[in-house]
Amino acid sequence: MLASLWRQLGMLSVCMAGLAGLTLYAQEADLRAPSAAVAGNPASIETTGGGPATFYLIGPSIAVKRDVRMGEAIALSAKELQSSGKYMAIVCSEACRSVGFFVAPAKPVGLTFLVHPSRAPVSQPNMVSGVALPFDEFHNLVLAPATVEFQLSAAGIAPASHSAPTQGGVAWFHTNSGRSAGALQITASIDGVSTRRVVQQVASDPCSLRIKGERNKRGFAVETEPVKDCTGNPVPDGTIVTFTAKDAQGTDTVDAPIKKGIARAQLKGSGTVTISAASGVVMGNEVRLGGQ
Amino acid sequence: MRASCEFYLATTGRSVFRRLAGLIALALLGTLAAMCAEPALNVSLNTSKAGPRSVESQTEKVILRDYKFAWSNLGQAMESNSTASISGLFAGTANAWLTSAVATQRRNRLTSRYSNQNHKVDAVFYAPEGDVIELHDTAEYDLQILDGGKTIHDEHVVAHYVVLMTPGADRWVVRQLQAVPQF
Repeated sequence: MLASLWRQLGMLSVCMAGLAGLTLYAQEADLRAPSAAVAGNPASIETTGGGPATFYLIGPSIAVKRDVRMGEAIALSAKELQSSGKYMAIVCSEACRSVGFFVAPAKPVGLTFLVHPSRAPVSQPNMVSGVALPFDEFHNLVLAPATVEFQLSAAGIAPASHSAPTQGGVAWFHTNSGRSAGALQITASIDGVSTRRVVQQVASDPCSLRIKGERNKRGFAVETEPVKDCTGNPVPDGTIVTFTAKDAQGTDTVDAPIKKGIARAQLKGSGTVTISAASGVVMGNEVRLGGQ
Repeated sequence: MRASCEFYLATTGRSVFRRLAGLIALALLGTLAAMCAEPALNVSLNTSKAGPRSVESQTEKVILRDYKFAWSNLGQAMESNSTASISGLFAGTANAWLTSAVATQRRNRLTSRYSNQNHKVDAVFYAPEGDVIELHDTAEYDLQILDGGKTIHDEHVVAHYVVLMTPGADRWVVRQLQAVPQF
């Protein structure tokens, strides 16, 4: 039963299409889409045939409907083509016809430039990274391959540059942090457009700790020598140094922040006391102070 | 040709349409069941080619979830001509474009219907600090454009999208959704 139904339906559809085809043929019209449309530039769609019709333009951020006459070019304004992507032009008179076309991004006028981190410890491998994405004036990602120039400069060192091609609209780099604390300026440039970011390079972990101390009325006063990282940069104030005093009665521990490069603490103890210091993974020297 | 077709239509049309009525009733039941279920939307995500950072499995799951949700909401927004369903899954340019598309559709009494969506997505770039990911989506769907109740365009679409997503507070959001002729 189903097979016979399908056969009858097939015949029915052939007949209907044939009749409809006669009508469509008389009204047939062609649309020719713009071949290389660019965002923000006017374009036109060529049409053939004649008579009034309704024109629709469906794009990534727009839907347009207006009356047109077939046989005349349909003008598309720059504003209608600002978004890059696929557009569908549809013309309906008695039947509807459509044609699709792409609008390419315009030239880059801005770079989105993401740089990390904002504060970087010195002398760390691949510590600083940046990602640059070029956009045109209509916020379309520019996908055509181009080269982004990254320039790095800091006080006391020669500027360095690195170029990277965009792939899929993205260029990136990573690099070691410098040896000296201070501002690292990074500029990304493409086609005369540039964006600048600053990374604050700060001292890395302390490289070594040297402490000294003396007895006073309240116990023992101890302090570090100026605390520096392995490249000689003063470790930032606020970094914690832990002092530990051991005597026959037990252990006394004090956490002290570095102020102006030096950490100080007052420890309790009696008799002979062994005092040590640590910051992060770095251990300092031990000092033995005798009892009174 | 015209005379024979008119004769054929007159003699066989009624019996064909009676039998069709039964089939249409069955199809209606099926359609109702389908409307109650989730709309067909499949998304697969391949992160094996992403670099320079590799995509963590938890991140991959969240991106897949949010990208699928974004397309589901885009479809709803374009069909209902309301941006209420966008729910913060689009930001920046993608959000502006979608909002503008919905507004201009509504103004012209047009609607777009996306159905049977299949998205084959490749992650091609994942930033070293994990703050942006670029996806290449080869999407297939049926697109119907309507003016009022009249269908003016009906097409099975194969489209390529370049997508930028960034992490938000509790989700990944689509910032750029740009169709291209090819990757």
